[in-house]
Amino acid sequence: MNEPVSGIALGVVIVGLALSTFVTRTSFLLAGARLRLGHRVEVALRYAPVCTLAAIIVPDILMHPPAHVLDLSLLNPRLIGALAAGLWLCWSRNIIGCLALGMAAYSLARVYL
Amino acid sequence: MISGVAMVKGGLTVPWAIMMSLLVYAGSAQLAALPLIVAGAPLWVIVATGLITNLRFVIYSAALRPYFADRSAATRAALGFFMTDFTFTRFMRSVQEGTLPTSHSDAWFAGVCSSNWITWQLSAMTGIIGASYVPTEWGLEFTGTLALIALVGPSLNARPAVVGAAAAAVVALVAYPLPFKLGLFCGAIAGIVAATLTDSFEQPTPLQSAGEP
Repeated sequence: MNEPVSGIALGVVIVGLALSTFVTRTSFLLAGARLRLGHRVEVALRYAPVCTLAAIIVPDILMHPPAHVLDLSLLNPRLIGALAAGLWLCWSRNIIGCLALGMAAYSLARVYL
Repeated sequence: MISGVAMVKGGLTVPWAIMMSLLVYAGSAQLAALPLIVAGAPLWVIVATGLITNLRFVIYSAALRPYFADRSAATRAALGFFMTDFTFTRFMRSVQEGTLPTSHSDAWFAGVCSSNWITWQLSAMTGIIGASYVPTEWGLEFTGTLALIALVGPSLNARPAVVGAAAAAVVALVAYPLPFKLGLFCGAIAGIVAATLTDSFEQPTPLQSAGEP
């Protein structure tokens, strides 16, 4: 179980994240015509989020706490939940269904495996 | 709403979660930063992760610029900050359909953004307050990971995205033991390079966007 995170450090983190939102969203709107996006840069920016999120999600599923070692077993509840969610997304774009099915598969696997 | 649930179940107290929702107002960046905050990663790693997750907004910002070029800097800054995946997509669709009132484009966009902001914040608050009554044993923090999967899924419709995501995942796994969660960066950068290289062998694809801000 996690201790609640709080304090000045968390405040600084939140302000930093808020700045990252502000800077990226207002960048070209404020810079005016002086800046220009090259094709290569635009492509890199376009794929940056999906790559970053993949680098977060996959270790989160396969190297779960408390051990943080690679767990490719089909008994891994997070893997089961993620596979269920992924299969749902192949079939439907409905996010609520994806979350519900993923959570149900994860919970069942945690209880019964 | 999921960002609200995930923040509270990840270990943030209710007041901090509310503040994060109001100030950061970027669902994917919040969900991405959350595991790092919980793991006690250094400040710069957390902020840099949020920044990379938000990089797509730079493209949106560039695309919106021509429509607001003659507005004041304050107006442009405000419209920019409250722009999200959804409101950007909505704006561009009305441009394509020719339904945008060009002389009042700023007021129109402000209307779309403010209603989206209210809806999003209300549902985030519902998630924050609701989750604080749910026992941690239910494992609701996993909804954060599931929500990220739901965000990524629809963007995996082009080969560069798939190649980039796969490269990012493999490198992030291999580099996992690095300190300060640096494996995440190695993975993200490897993925971006792989996606850019793949794209340079292909035709350009249209801009993709996800559902939440």
